[in-house]
Formats: sequence, structure tokens, C-alpha cells
Amino acid sequence: MPAAKHKIVTAFEGIPQSRSLETYLKHGGYQNLKKALSMKPDALVDLVKASGLRGRGGAGFPTGLKWSFIPKDSKERYLVCNNDEGEPGTFKDRYILELSPHMLLEGMIITAYAIQSKKGYVYTRCEFYEEIEWLNQAIDEAYETGYLGENIIGSGFSFNLDHYIGAGAYVCGEETGMLSSLEGKKGYPKLKPPFPAVAGYLGKPTIINNTETLATIPWIIEHGAEAFRKFGTEKSPGTKLFCVSGPVKNPGVFERPLGYPLQKLIYEDAGGLIDGKELKAVIPGGASSPVLNKEDVMTMKLDFESLAGAGSMLGSGAVIVIPHDVNIFDVFKVTADFFHHESCGQCTPCREGTGWIANILQGIEENKGSPADFERIYKIATQLMGRTICALSDAAAMPARGFVNKFRDELNAYIETKRNTR
Amino acid sequence: MSVFSEKLQDKFKHYLARYETRRSAILPILHEIQDEYGWIQPEHIESLEKEYGLAKVHVQEVVSFYSMYRTEKPRPYRIYFCDNIVCTLMGAEKTMEKIRKVMKSYEDKGLESPFSLEGVPCLGVCDGAPAMLVNKERYLRVDSEKVEEILMKYGA
Ligand SMILES: Cc1cc2nc3c(=O)[nH]c(=O)nc-3n(C[C@H](O)[C@H](O)[C@H](O)COP(=O)(O)O)c2cc1C
Ligand code: SF4
Ligand code: FES
Repeated sequence: MPAAKHKIVTAFEGIPQSRSLETYLKHGGYQNLKKALSMKPDALVDLVKASGLRGRGGAGFPTGLKWSFIPKDSKERYLVCNNDEGEPGTFKDRYILELSPHMLLEGMIITAYAIQSKKGYVYTRCEFYEEIEWLNQAIDEAYETGYLGENIIGSGFSFNLDHYIGAGAYVCGEETGMLSSLEGKKGYPKLKPPFPAVAGYLGKPTIINNTETLATIPWIIEHGAEAFRKFGTEKSPGTKLFCVSGPVKNPGVFERPLGYPLQKLIYEDAGGLIDGKELKAVIPGGASSPVLNKEDVMTMKLDFESLAGAGSMLGSGAVIVIPHDVNIFDVFKVTADFFHHESCGQCTPCREGTGWIANILQGIEENKGSPADFERIYKIATQLMGRTICALSDAAAMPARGFVNKFRDELNAYIETKRNTR
Repeated sequence: MSVFSEKLQDKFKHYLARYETRRSAILPILHEIQDEYGWIQPEHIESLEKEYGLAKVHVQEVVSFYSMYRTEKPRPYRIYFCDNIVCTLMGAEKTMEKIRKVMKSYEDKGLESPFSLEGVPCLGVCDGAPAMLVNKERYLRVDSEKVEEILMKYGA
């Protein structure tokens, strides 16, 4: 892979025709697959464990550990790439498809070998029309050159890969909702345990990893666990893609070591706010992550432990910048409406609770609010946590509590101004 | 005689043989039907059961769960505008207001607008907010001026 500082999954940034197989091969593409195929599968699992790589899809679960949960005596195993990219604020997996879909494929084939899977799926959201074609083309090229299919480059290992396209449902980004969808059903999440690594697609052991997670694997094979750990922090090794959006000068995707200062990301990398706007707040890890106020932003480090310590989360690395001239109530309401809309309705607390929160906010907007409303929302949100089939309910509850926690005064003042105009 | 073209039937067979279960073919088959006919019609669902043994309840479940399957005849140009956090911050509402105005100008003349407008969740392109799709075409940074030019391209 092209060697550049801090660049693992964005190694092909700035390289012309970076998506083509030819370019990929010219820069050492699929050499890591060759290397991996000469190793023992268990040694690969151990290597990824040693690297400390944690899932980049939001939850940050240790990748090697997840792989090791596959029951040893199981025969049929599946690998699924979560390319649904539905978390509002997130556009990083799309960037990987734009730069080097072959890097994702190489990562998947290595992973398939490590977990001894013969069949895999990439599940992509349907709205990525152009990106879907890019990945399809890369898959075709990989089949034509023998990196996919039977007896991969003469190793005796076979792996087939299919590209499956979603149809517009955020909940299908949740891993068990995705499995239901792959089975051709509505995207209802399933109760865990059993975890997918034990009973997943069609009840068979299945590893589900995010696109960015899988695209990181070739680099770890090439450079080793120690080199990976040179980036990032003890608990959050490596680099991460951060998506910066909102009214900043250079919105976009930045690959930076974990533990990177949030302030630097916003003011240096993304160029600061436009039109003399002032920063009011930041949503640091996609719509499910609790909001940070300006004071938090100035000292925050972007890694799993620092954000968790501040009551928020790293999530998908989607950093949304909220300027001073935006009413925090409006951001809160869009977020609440989104989760209410996307709740699949299986669990009563999630179905009803997300609806109540959205309704209370609607009432406030229609000037029917009272100062007790935000306390009620906080209480409802607390009831939504930890008691449902999937984490969408928690994903709705945590930011709701966050808005009330950090912006109670502004929210209450909003009710007052509304009342005064009654 | 099938309601589906030869070409579509070939594709269906391919999907039905491709996955571990025939049921997994439902989503891709519905995508193909929608691409060909614009929407999923009751007779399509009937035929999938009769000709391919895909149970009506199974197909119906999928059609109604996923928001991108259409069950009514669509307008020629469907605008899917992101009304999520970042696009809202960047002025989505103002652009959507403009689109509604253009659509209303048709109604005022007693015509049916060739456009439909629907708010959708984050499209995964927030660095280009506000973002929208017109059918399968993606447009970024669409402010209320730019959107007029885009709609004109489609005949507005
Ligand atoms: C409601 C919901 C939506 C999710 N959406 C996504 C998504 O779009 N992409 C993704 O990679 N993970 C998503 N996840 C996380 C997945 O469930 C899962 O943790 C992840 O794919 C595991 O891969 P990783 O360990 O490589 O991160 C979502 C989770 C929840 C609860
Ligand atoms: S928590 Fe919500 S989204 Fe998840 S399964 Fe239950 S109702 Fe569906
Ligand atoms: S919020 Fe509009 S594209 Fe992401």
C-alpha cells in the first residue's frame, strides 16, 4: 500500500484512478492476501487481536475477539460486511468505496480465510447508486483475476462474495436486522444471545463487521500489530475516519489517529466555521451520540474512552458541528423524529417511547409546552435504555438525555419565548 | 403468459438460484420490478406467487417494511430530500420550500406536477449538505437557487 503518515484506509487519497484494480495492484494490492493465505487462520485471528483493532461501525467491539467466538466445530460460516452507513452524519464507508473498493475486498477475503468462511455478503444501502456500481465492478475484477471464487490464487481456499442491496431502513444497519434483511424478510432485529458469531445468517455462525473495520485488515497484515498500536491510544489503537459536517470551511472525511483533539479536527483540518459563525455544540459520533457543549469540545480527545468518560460516545466518528445561530431545540427535534420514524416497532418501550418524545417536542413547537416537558422527556428516555431487542432504543434515548443535560437552560428559554408569543 | 418480460424473468431465475434460500431473492427481485415498472403493483405480487412460488405474505411483508419500495404509481421525477440533522443545519427547509413552490405552480395552472417531494433520512453525503436525489441522480449543496436550475433540467 502507498505509505503515508496516518494513512491506512485512505492510503489511496490523491492517487489517480485509485479505484481500478490496476492501480491497486501497482501499489502492492492483494500482496497481503497472499501473505495471509500462507499463514494459519488462527494466527491471523491472534494478529488482529494483538493489534487491538476495535469495530468502526459504532460499538467499538474488539474485532479479533469477535472472530474468536465462532464455535470451533461449526462448518458453514458466513462473513457480512456492514456497508449500510445509515447513522446520520456518517459518510466514511462511502469514501472507502470511492477511494479503493479493492482494499475492502482484500480485507474481506483475508477475514473470510481467518474465520474459514466460504461465503460472504456486502450489504449496502440502496441510495448509494454510484458506489454500488463501483463495488460491483471491483467484485467482477476480483473474480476475473482469481482473488474471489474457487481456489483463490492457487491456495486451495475458496470464498464467494455477493453484493446485497437494502431498500431504505436504518434498522437494517443493526447487525441482526441486517441478517433478517439478508434472509429476505423485513429488517426485524433478533434477540441476543445467541450472538451472530454463534447463530447468525440462517442460524449459522456469522461475523458482521463494518466496512472501515474490514478495510483496515490488509494494513495490519502488512505492518503488524505493533505498528498499528503506534497510532492511537492504549485502549483505542489505530487510526479512525472522522466525518466532519455542518457549517465548516472544509467538510469531509479525515483519517486521524484515535485520541486526536476534537478542537484541532474542527478548527485546523476542517478549517473552522464559515461566515464568522461561532461554535455552539458538537455531536461527536453520529445522531446516536449525546451532544457536547463548547466547553467539552475544547478539551475532548477523539477515542472510545475519552468520549465515554464524558457521557457521550465515539460512535461512527461522525462529527456534526452546530453553530451559535441554530436553535438546539430544532436539532433535538430532527433527531427525535428520526428515531421515532426508524423504530421497527417490535418492542413496546422503543415504539411508544420514541413516539412520546417526538410528540412532546411537537407540542412544544406548536406552543403547547410547559417547563416540566424536558424533565418528562428525560424520564421517558431513561426508561428506553437497556430493555429492548436492539440498541436503536438506546440510540434514541442517549442523545435525548444529552440534549436535556447539556442545554436545559436554552431549551427552557425556548419554551418561554414560545409562551410569550402565545 | 407472464406479466414480466423475458429479460426480467431471466433475472428472477438468476436471483432465485443465487442465494441460500429462495426467499432472499425477494429484495433484489422487487428492486428489478421497480426499476422496470416504476412501482410494485398488486398483479406483480400475485404473479411472483403464481409463477415463482414466492408467498404473497412474504413479499407483502417486504414491500411494506422498506421505505424505498413504492406501491403507488409515481410521478416521473421523484425528489428525495434529506431532512436529517446536517441538511437541516445547512438550510434544507428553505430549498424544500422552493421545490414546493415550483410544484404548486403546476397545480395553479391546473396541471399535475411531474415532481414529487419526500423527506428522507440522512443520505450519507453530509459533507455535501443539503443533499437530495432526483430518481437515482444525486445532487449536493442544493440551495434554493441551485435547485431551480436542477428542476429546469427536468423540464420545470
Ligand atoms: C440502530 C443501529 C444502526 C446501526 N447502523 C450501522 C451502520 O449503518 N453501519 C455499521 O457498520 N454499523 C451499524 N450499527 C452497528 C452494528 O450493529 C454492528 O455493531 C457493527 O456492524 C459491527 O461491526 P464492527 O464491529 O466492525 O463495528 C448499527 C447499530 C444499531 C443499533
Ligand atoms: S429496540 Fe426498537 S428498533 Fe430495535 S427491535 Fe425493538 S422496536 Fe425494533
Ligand atoms: S444529514 Fe443529510 S446527507 Fe446526512
